[in-house]
Amino acid sequence: MSAYTEGILILLMINGIAAMGVSLLTGFTGIFTLGHAAYLAIGSYTTAILTLDYGFHWLPAIIFGGILAMILGYLIGIPTLKLFGDYYAIASIGLAESIRLIIENWQSVTNGARGIPGIDTFTTFPVALGFFLVLAFFAFNLINGRIGRAFMACRDDHIAASLLGFHTARYRAFSLALSAFYCGIAGGLYAGFISFIQPIMFDMLKSTEMTAVVVFGGLGSMSGCLLGTTIITLVTELFRPISQYRMLIYGLVLVLVMVIRPEGIMGQNEFDMKLFRKIASYIRKPKTTSERG
Amino acid sequence: MGTLLQQVINGLSLGSVYALIAVGYSLVYSILLFSNFAHGGFLVVGGYLCYFALNTLGMNIWLAGAFSLVGAGFAAIATERLAYKPIRERTSVTLYLLIASMGMSIVIENIFVVIAGGRFRALPPVIPTNPVNVFGLATTSAFDIISLVTAVVFLGGLQIFLTKTKWGLAIRAAAYNLRIAGLMGVNVARLISLVFFVSGLLAAVGGIFLSVRYTLYPQLGMITIKAFVAAVIGGLGSLPGAVVGSLILGLSEMLTAGFLSSQLRDLVVFSLLVVTLVIRPTGLFGKNVGEKV
Repeated sequence: MSAYTEGILILLMINGIAAMGVSLLTGFTGIFTLGHAAYLAIGSYTTAILTLDYGFHWLPAIIFGGILAMILGYLIGIPTLKLFGDYYAIASIGLAESIRLIIENWQSVTNGARGIPGIDTFTTFPVALGFFLVLAFFAFNLINGRIGRAFMACRDDHIAASLLGFHTARYRAFSLALSAFYCGIAGGLYAGFISFIQPIMFDMLKSTEMTAVVVFGGLGSMSGCLLGTTIITLVTELFRPISQYRMLIYGLVLVLVMVIRPEGIMGQNEFDMKLFRKIASYIRKPKTTSERG
Repeated sequence: MGTLLQQVINGLSLGSVYALIAVGYSLVYSILLFSNFAHGGFLVVGGYLCYFALNTLGMNIWLAGAFSLVGAGFAAIATERLAYKPIRERTSVTLYLLIASMGMSIVIENIFVVIAGGRFRALPPVIPTNPVNVFGLATTSAFDIISLVTAVVFLGGLQIFLTKTKWGLAIRAAAYNLRIAGLMGVNVARLISLVFFVSGLLAAVGGIFLSVRYTLYPQLGMITIKAFVAAVIGGLGSLPGAVVGSLILGLSEMLTAGFLSSQLRDLVVFSLLVVTLVIRPTGLFGKNVGEKV
């Protein structure tokens, strides 16, 4: 495997972990976020500072970054998750920009806008794969379990869910904390992958991209968000030679997907036997079934 | 005292430009109930059209201004027809519109990156910026006074349009309930186009003033985040709220820059947003929609 292919695969794993985090919140709990790059930033800065300044081993540093992002997410979630819809989306932009500006201005710890160079490149392929598999296993089990169903109940009808006895506010905050944890871990791995981090990497465009990938793959589909990540990551790599048009194409793809198939590639389906049976029945008698996702 | 007054005038001037942008954004929100993130794109279209009209076509500022206002209005209509209308006709989920609008904002930004290049451009000195003495109390730039007056003229014009004309009545009815307005015989498609035209036109006015204040570059549209924040502070969909929110934002930004530190101004803006939303989750003037079970 050449270094380039390995790099892309590691990037895919990292983006996949972040996408699963956003998918838990946006896809399964129905809270639209435009500020998750902040948790990525928390994770990568924590990892970088712990390994460089305090001599931590990278593994506890990454996990510590994830936990810090989780705590922060929970603390942010308690007051802000009573907001709904676009209000939370705009508030999350505000929060993420605030966190980025704090990192940028806290010169003594974060080295400000110049960023932190010389982080150990500990994110090798086995490391990224290990983290990815563990977190993916956890995410897929979670969404099929009691907590996952509670998340979906909050998404589909939060009033009905609260009438059924779910503490919706607590579940929403928990969902945000969990997704922040995933993004924090992804951030830590990212720091160990490119070995140089800078506040500007975690701006609003990054946040938008993280959410767009999840919507692109299908809201409410864990495998969909991984598929979406894979496609978007590969497309952006593929168009690297014509970098001038890269973002233009990315924007067009986003608009086209929304116009042609707004529910995303996978809709709410997962890659499992149920989907194959659905496809099989669709192929057998295409006229009677009207399954469109 | 002189500095305070000067900063207040600067703040009002900046706030009034935000108001032009926030009002258009809020107007679209009040009709279609989604955050149009491509709104920043209209502003960039306005700025570049003005630049080309002045430099390449050699128009004077009045003609170039009118040209860019109308051009941005039509760009807004085109955006709505190409990207939002197909989605609007298919589903009622506003989230898809939101994602499509983020896509459109990336598309518009990068169209200008491709055709005009990413560099910073300065508009020719069409708006005087020489210092002016205000009643012997403070010195400020003529540009600040002009932008304040222009914004007041346009906002007043909008107010007259909305309250005195038949189409204004239709827009207010649609803001109350789009479907019922349609049933009462309002041509909804034309009404939505009109709303987008007005919002694009107002954004272009803001765009021209912002590109004189800062410079003109494809990412100028990112400034609309401030206008969104202002609209959310005021309450989404409320036009007076958008104006009040913008003025608060402009004042707090300029006062922070003048008396604390200009690095903190964005942090103050976003903290203001979060604090406002925690205290009043629907903004200052927002409708407190009681959800029906």
